[in-house]
Amino acid sequence: MDFGVLNDTTRCIGCRSCQVSCKNENKLPAEPTQLVGHPGGLTNPPQLSASTHTIVQCHEIEDAEAPGGLRLVYTKRQCMHCDQPACVSACPVTALHKTEHGGVAYDEDKCIGCRYCVWACPFGVPTAEWDSLAPRIRKCDLCSDRILGDIRAQELNDTTLPAPARKRFEESYKKPACVKACTTGALTYGRHDELLEEAHRRLEAEPARYHPHVYGEEEVGGTSILYLSAVPFEKLGFRTDLGTTAYPTYTATALGLVPPAVIGIGAALGGIHLLARRKAAVAREEAERKLGETP
Amino acid sequence: MKFSPAQGKLLNATNVVALLVMLAGVAAIVTRFALGLGGSTNLSDTWPWGLWIAFDLIWIALAAGAFVMAAVIYVLHRQKYYEIGRSAVLMGLLSYSFVMVTLIADLGLPWHFWQLGIQRPEHSAMFEVSWCVGLYVSVLALEFAPVVFERLKWKELSRYWRIHAPIYVVVAVSFFVWLMSHSALWAVLAAVVFGMLAFAFRPKKGEKQGPIMLAIAAFTLSSMHQSSLGTLFLLMPDKLSPVWWSPLLPFMFFLSAIAAGVSLVIVMKVVVGKSFRRPVEQRLLAGLGRYVSAALFVFLAVRVGDLIYRDQLSAALANRLFLVEFGLCGLVPLFLLMVKPLRERAPCLVTYCLLTASGVILNRLNVVLFGMQLRGPMPGVEAAAYTPSLIEIGVTVGLIAATIFLYNLGAHTLPVLKAREQE
Repeated sequence: MDFGVLNDTTRCIGCRSCQVSCKNENKLPAEPTQLVGHPGGLTNPPQLSASTHTIVQCHEIEDAEAPGGLRLVYTKRQCMHCDQPACVSACPVTALHKTEHGGVAYDEDKCIGCRYCVWACPFGVPTAEWDSLAPRIRKCDLCSDRILGDIRAQELNDTTLPAPARKRFEESYKKPACVKACTTGALTYGRHDELLEEAHRRLEAEPARYHPHVYGEEEVGGTSILYLSAVPFEKLGFRTDLGTTAYPTYTATALGLVPPAVIGIGAALGGIHLLARRKAAVAREEAERKLGETP
Repeated sequence: MKFSPAQGKLLNATNVVALLVMLAGVAAIVTRFALGLGGSTNLSDTWPWGLWIAFDLIWIALAAGAFVMAAVIYVLHRQKYYEIGRSAVLMGLLSYSFVMVTLIADLGLPWHFWQLGIQRPEHSAMFEVSWCVGLYVSVLALEFAPVVFERLKWKELSRYWRIHAPIYVVVAVSFFVWLMSHSALWAVLAAVVFGMLAFAFRPKKGEKQGPIMLAIAAFTLSSMHQSSLGTLFLLMPDKLSPVWWSPLLPFMFFLSAIAAGVSLVIVMKVVVGKSFRRPVEQRLLAGLGRYVSAALFVFLAVRVGDLIYRDQLSAALANRLFLVEFGLCGLVPLFLLMVKPLRERAPCLVTYCLLTASGVILNRLNVVLFGMQLRGPMPGVEAAAYTPSLIEIGVTVGLIAATIFLYNLGAHTLPVLKAREQE
């Protein structure tokens, strides 16, 4: 079953609890503060890196109706967890893989460090640990360990939690750390089909509040992360030119031709060689015959 | 046809320089591992690949001469070209070996390379290239083995090779097909077809016959990995300029590799003939020139047709890099190669071949570096710049020097070059 996250950016106030909780959950080191300034506002750091798997990007958008003439929009950016990820199809050793709950996770024991995933991703998500002598690829994995792994706090003060309490705990724990930390309900974790329904319900209920598009519904074949916004997505630096083709189909066609091509080319070369040999034999006989006639 | 090792001093000025640069390259590789990728290269999350990958793509295209020559000599049965064959295969073997060395330097976690042997990705172009190049290097080594046997007078091993090399080809190709298709049916089909070929072309007593199965495998595997290097870039339609990105990129990589590879064989033949004072037959070179012009013609025709079909021709014509690649290093040598009196003069032929090879080199640079429109990591606000570091350049130049030095070493110790008449 595919799960995902719906990010309703109209509900986001830019508190960055998600960004902090992600660092905490994944034990990522801090980065030096680096403010990008207008129109990026308080965005810090400016982009994803091996030690930052999600950032809240701040947008100062000129809008005469907004107070002070500037409308502030915050977009939490992280891996989109594509339904058919380019990075997964690129990986020669299946180090990147789509987990059963929809996240694209990474297995550092398999990775050879070729960085083809970094190239392949249309969103610029995978990053490498450039400062390390053994550089892993780092990216958001939709908290796969948290959701798929054993819950760490099943027991409290040496007493096993009673079943109802444990269920409550599981429900509140088994979601990405960023979603759990979200203070305003901008982030919702749930089943992908239900999130998509919810997104369209919101668009219909309040058409004036939203730009009429669910980003991630069809982009690159669909993604597990869905966005709603008040302003058109290109104004928020989202790529709207990626098309709806799932990236792996670009290479799958070419690679699917490999087995028949190997056999076809082999057979053709064999045939060509037989012809060439026949031609050479005929030419030799011809020459011998002529040689026999001359004296 | 007789072959003999080159005479004269191995350590002449050229080779001493090559040896020194090669040692500098070794130092650069050691530094790369001491400092790590980030410390020794200018690569970044914006530019995860750089000079080394460009070098690999160029070197593999230029080394295509080995498989084309094997196909011409054995499959097409044009034995007059045999005198170039050994040289071309040695050059191919060295080039591919050093591509693998560069890749090891380029990988972040090269000690995990064995994972390539146990994982089965669904459809990864990188997986295809890794296996295909690996198997092709083994075929190149087998193609070159008789030269070593001849030098060491290992008659027994030579007979063993004649019988078993075709069997190896059948097994290797079928295994490769199985890896790529995930299907036993395809693998069995490949085994049947290549098995039938091996049986039809089995070495017969009293009949002198070349390693046809190795030549067929070399061509098949080369056509696959040359094109798959293009497939790598099909995943980047959002980054690579539409002047270069095309669904036909794999096919165009294959065609241009043939043009570049044979060009390099011609240039090499002239240069080596000069420096080792071995005979260079003009007609032979002109004949090879025809293969270059044929491959170049098809490549350029597909290129133009594809640009027109995708409505990118006007964008391409406004692009200076494209104009140099396509016009100066494509159309110009093509027209000159088609003129017979010009084709048959060695200095002219070498010039055209150098132009053609430069065009293909520029094509690979455009695909890997210059044609890329990058935005940097998400959210894509800061694209880093890239110029190769001293270490990156050192490794690349060092390996080019190593190829030249080891080729000369091979030519001096093994019967690689055609003997002079009096020998």
